[in-house]
This record gives sequence, structure tokens and C-alpha cells, in this order.
Amino acid sequence: MNSNTPPPDIEAASTLAVIGSSNEPLLFLAADFTIIAASASFCGAFQIDPASVCGRPLADLGAGEWAAPQLDSLLKATASGAVQIEAYEIKLVRKDHATRNLLLHARKLEDGDGDRVRLLLAITDITLIRAEARQKDDLIREKAVLLQEVQHRVANSLQIIASILLQSARSVQSGEARGHLRDAHHRVMSIAAVQRHLAMSTLGDVALRPYFTQLCESLAASMIEDPERLTIAVSVDDSAVTANASVGLGLITTELVINALKHAFPDQRKGTIAVDYRTTGKAWALRVRDNGVGMPTGENKVKPGLGTGIVEALARQLHGRIHLADAQPGTEFKLVHDQMDDGDGLALAAL
Amino acid sequence: MLHNNYTVLVVEDIPLVRMGAVDLLVCAGFQAPEADSADEAIRILESRPDIQLVFTDAGLPGAMDGVTLSHYIRSRWPAMKLIVASGQANVQESRLPAGARFFAKPYDVDTVMQTMTGMLSETNSGHNRH
Repeated sequence: MNSNTPPPDIEAASTLAVIGSSNEPLLFLAADFTIIAASASFCGAFQIDPASVCGRPLADLGAGEWAAPQLDSLLKATASGAVQIEAYEIKLVRKDHATRNLLLHARKLEDGDGDRVRLLLAITDITLIRAEARQKDDLIREKAVLLQEVQHRVANSLQIIASILLQSARSVQSGEARGHLRDAHHRVMSIAAVQRHLAMSTLGDVALRPYFTQLCESLAASMIEDPERLTIAVSVDDSAVTANASVGLGLITTELVINALKHAFPDQRKGTIAVDYRTTGKAWALRVRDNGVGMPTGENKVKPGLGTGIVEALARQLHGRIHLADAQPGTEFKLVHDQMDDGDGLALAAL
Repeated sequence: MLHNNYTVLVVEDIPLVRMGAVDLLVCAGFQAPEADSADEAIRILESRPDIQLVFTDAGLPGAMDGVTLSHYIRSRWPAMKLIVASGQANVQESRLPAGARFFAKPYDVDTVMQTMTGMLSETNSGHNRH
């Protein structure tokens, strides 16, 4: 053996220099857990005097806060080679300092010297990260509670409005006024149905099939006296749209169904109203078709009312075009949005 | 169509919502006593054996909410018909006593009335508490 070879228990100066300059708090330990070297970042982060570090047992550092049994058994396990510790979390408790959450990575040094065990212990202070995560959890919980509270209030407010409209409808003398109040009630209920579907969805989108189905069931329950005579059939694909878009589509459907129930089937005529919605790529179409008496023309033509205004305004907002056709028998209303209508596809979010 | 022999207890803490429900029942010819909490509901149930159905909100203030109240009523008055309404759409009928019906608010009053009269006429033949 060359006489220049350093004695076996002396570390190369370069090793010590690398450890000393590590950005991450780092400890280099002997088999008995005395400190061979510590990074300046370690001494700075944990208020240890750099001059007093080398040669001291880890347990004697500072006021003895590193003598935790958890840390001791962790290092023993690492030294024995049984395990390699990745991301082990401990709490560092010190007098006059706030407790810190530390993340430890310990590993046996693999430098070919199998007889002499040395350990590298990297310490990351994750106190702030943990506190932030806790705060985030709290915020998410608070938000969920608040959202529930809001849903509750909205539901009760809508219930009050719906009740008042119906109470008014019952008390007015004029048949026309009663009809208008009942229509207003249907409009409130169709907005409420969106609210309900939105409350149950997680992504903020409303699946149209269950929504339209429920909407039409509710319209049928309150407007159709004889389900043998009139039915509403719903056929919708798997489309889901934004809350705003679903309010628009739902209100249009409400108006058209109310309209068909009022005008398309006079004199106890039997019939069906078919509600259909399809998406193809970026294009979509809403179709409401009845097999009733068709649109009256000339003298008997129905004057456009509030319902027509609502449908036209919502159709514009949805970037859709209205097509009205004689379905022979009955009437077909189509609201179509195709790629030609604008560049960004379903554009329902633009509402 | 009036149902003069039906009595339904309305339990709801929000006065305007309670008013709407009571008005609906009275217009249909029902007797409709009202309570704004579970405690008051139980007091009324103890003194009014004519009540056949309890229509309660799920979110009542105080120690007992409407879901708990419905279970309490079922255990004490097993024949009582129960309808629970809630502003929370996700209350499951499975959380309610067997046979109890659930409506998300805002409920459609016509559907509620249909359900109510259906439930009441079931009992009316063999089980009239007058």
C-alpha cells in the first residue's frame, strides 16, 4: 500500500466539500451516528453552530432534539442495509421553536468500502408545504359546505317563488291570467331542474338525457290531465353541456312543450310530443315535434307571445338557428347549430 | 276534488315555504296543522291522532333534522305516512324509513299532491284513524 493513501477512517476532502456545500440540508454520518460532515444549509436551517458539528454524536446536536427514537431506529435500519428510507416524515420538536415537519431520505453510502458503514441523511423542511396542504383541505371543505348552503337556499327560494305563483294562479278570476301564472310556474320549475342536476354533477356540466327526461316528466305531471291521450317522448344522446347552455335548452324545450300542449291538440285530440337532442362533432340539434293539428294560418294565426320572445332570445344566445316546418301532421321545431354557425364548436359556454 | 277527511302535518322552518305547502293542502280540502321544528311536530302528533301523513323538510333546525324525525315517527307511530323534502338533491330515499317518499326542492306541487293522495287512499280503506 502506498504511504500517500489516507488512513481508512479519513474521508476525502472533496467528499466533505461536496457535502458542506449541498443546497439541501445534508448530514454525513458514521456507523455510530457521529457526524462526519454537515452542510452549511443544515446548520443554517436548524440553528446549529457549524464549528461544533464535526465529530459529535447526532443525538448531542443542539439541545438534543435530534435524539428522537424514531430517527434513531430509522438510521439503524438504514445502516444494517435492510431498508433504504425514502421520504420518511418526522416532527422536529425544539424548545423556543415551532415544531417542524421534516421529510427524511437516508441511504447507506455505496463507495465500494463494504467494511466501513457511513450514512447520508437528507432533510427537507416541509412544514410550509404541510401547512399549505392543510389550509387547502380546509378551504375545500369550507367551499363544499358553502356550496351546499347556497344550493339549499336557492332551492328554498325557488320553492317560495313557485308556491307564490301557484297560489296566485289559484286566486285570480281571469282564465288568461291563471294560464300566464301557471306558465311562469313551469318556467321556474324548469330552471330549478337544471339547478338540481347541476348540484349532482361534479364537473359543472349537465348531462342532457336525465335533465330533459326529468323536465318533461315534470311538465307532463302538471300539464297533462289524461296521460292516455297525450304523451311526451324524450330521446337524447349522451351529450353534456355547461350549466348556462342547459338552462337555455331547458327553457326553450319548456316553452315549446307548453305551446304544443296548449295549441296542437284541441278537442281531446290524442297525440305525442317528441323531444330530441343530438350532437354530431361540433354540431348539435334540438328538435321538438308534435303530431297535432299544425300551425294555424291566416285569420287564426297565433300572435307571438312571451314564449316566442324567450325562444328567439335563447336561440340567439346558443348560436342556433330556428327552423319551423309543417311535420304533416303537426309541427316540427328545430334549433340547429352547425360548424358554419361559428368557429368554436359547441360554443354553449359563450352564453 | 276535496278530501275533507285527510289531515297532513307540515313540518318546515322557513315560513314562506311552509305557507305555500299549507295553502296547497288547505285548497285541496285537507286539514293542515303546521310545525317549524321536530319538537313541535312531535308535540302536535301526540295531541292530534287524526294526522295520517307528515310532510317534512329534511333540514330542520335544532337537535333533530327531518330525516331523523321521519325515523322517530316511524318507530313511534308505525302507520304514519311520510314525505320528506329537501333543498339538497342528494338525499337518498334509502336513508328514509321504508315507504317514505322523497322530493327535491323546489318540488312540483302537483306531483306532491298526486303522491300524497295516492299514499293516503292506500290507508283510507282499512286504516282510518277517525
